Amino acid sequence: MAKVKGDIIIDIEKCKGCKLCASACPQVTLELSKKVNSKGYLYIVKVNDKCTGCTNCALVCPEGIITVYRKTLDGNKEHVATITNVSKDINITVKE
Amino acid sequence: MKELKLMKGNEAIAEAAIRAGCDAYFGYPITPQSEILEYLAANAQKRTGMVVLQAESEIASINMVYGAAGCGKRVMTSSSSPGISLMQEGISYIACAELPCLLVNVMRGGPGLGTIQPSQGDYFQTVKGGGHGDYRLITLAPSTIQEAVDFTKLAFDLAFKWRNPVMLLLDGAIGQMMEKVELFSQQERLKEAPDWATVGKPKNRERNIITSLHMQPEDMEKTNQHLQAKYRKIEEEETRFECYKCDDADYIFTGFGLVARIAKKAADIARTKGYKIGVFRPITLFPFPYSEINNLSKKVKAILDVEMNTGQMLEDVKLAVNGNIPVEFHGRTGGMIPTPEEIVAVFEEKIIKRK
Repeated sequence: MAKVKGDIIIDIEKCKGCKLCASACPQVTLELSKKVNSKGYLYIVKVNDKCTGCTNCALVCPEGIITVYRKTLDGNKEHVATITNVSKDINITVKE
Repeated sequence: MKELKLMKGNEAIAEAAIRAGCDAYFGYPITPQSEILEYLAANAQKRTGMVVLQAESEIASINMVYGAAGCGKRVMTSSSSPGISLMQEGISYIACAELPCLLVNVMRGGPGLGTIQPSQGDYFQTVKGGGHGDYRLITLAPSTIQEAVDFTKLAFDLAFKWRNPVMLLLDGAIGQMMEKVELFSQQERLKEAPDWATVGKPKNRERNIITSLHMQPEDMEKTNQHLQAKYRKIEEEETRFECYKCDDADYIFTGFGLVARIAKKAADIARTKGYKIGVFRPITLFPFPYSEINNLSKKVKAILDVEMNTGQMLEDVKLAVNGNIPVEFHGRTGGMIPTPEEIVAVFEEKIIKRK
């Protein structure tokens, strides 16, 4: 099986630093920052390259602000998982 | 018709305010309650025509509330601890002028500018009167987002029933977390002004005057006596509380808001260890359920009061217990939240081992 490499993008301005994603991450990739966002919260940052794109963090994020990208090294194929706008309607798209 | 939604605490309060037929909101952003202003600004105007205005400061917003409340409108403001401190003068004026309004305080850690993490450090300020003079705020302390929604509607009803400001006192965690809520249906905004409102003088009645200035000492004392009589009546009629497994309990945990939820879990854990524990949660902090706690103190062996401050409601619990049984305290501050296991450990150390 080809090695899977993932990446995430976090909307740090909406993060409240609840750390649910950090505890859900099997690769221990997420940690609280040392800096604060404009609301004053310590936000989550990716601290290493171990992300596999498993989407756990995006699924547990109560604010729905994590977007996950997944890519296989051989096929160069991109998969996307986004969970958006939790406050209105939950909208989950996980492309396999 | 049931309408279930997954909502953030602050947004749920804002939604509830729109649905309760609120006429105006004046506020100033401060973490952790900014979402109330954000949500109202995005939704309220186009749905009910409600006025939503970001004032230049907290002091301005509370005085705008004073003015709008004087017109007999359903009006609210919200802030967090330092902002509420700034509002105290206006709150005292509104209480003296006997005007209804809703104040929401999403508490954060203090003293000073403090931290933006959840805390319950504003109990004294809210319940004992943070402003000057002998006034009281009817204080509701929700522990779930569902309650925050229901109490927003209730708060407007109580405010108009008693012509008194009502404070919704919750902490940053309830404001920021997301939960399932059942929303009530949209209420209409007020069409007619109440008879005390200052909306112009028709020929058939005397001029309405709203003021908090009484230059004659006799007048001032009369106003105070009238207010106190009203507060005694509120104490009789509006006291609310919740008992959790108190019927067969040997020990009681007390706490309000978020902490009561943690205490319930702690009580369940302790029950698996063989200690019969119940949880008593005051829902209204003013009026405080003194007689209910006093009755409990005749049945149980000890009380552990848990709070996210250094022992503010503790004083009221002790007053209610009146020396009948020992009252112990456990508190965390500065945004730290006690865990259920921690509460059980403290209970075993402070109450079981010391016997």
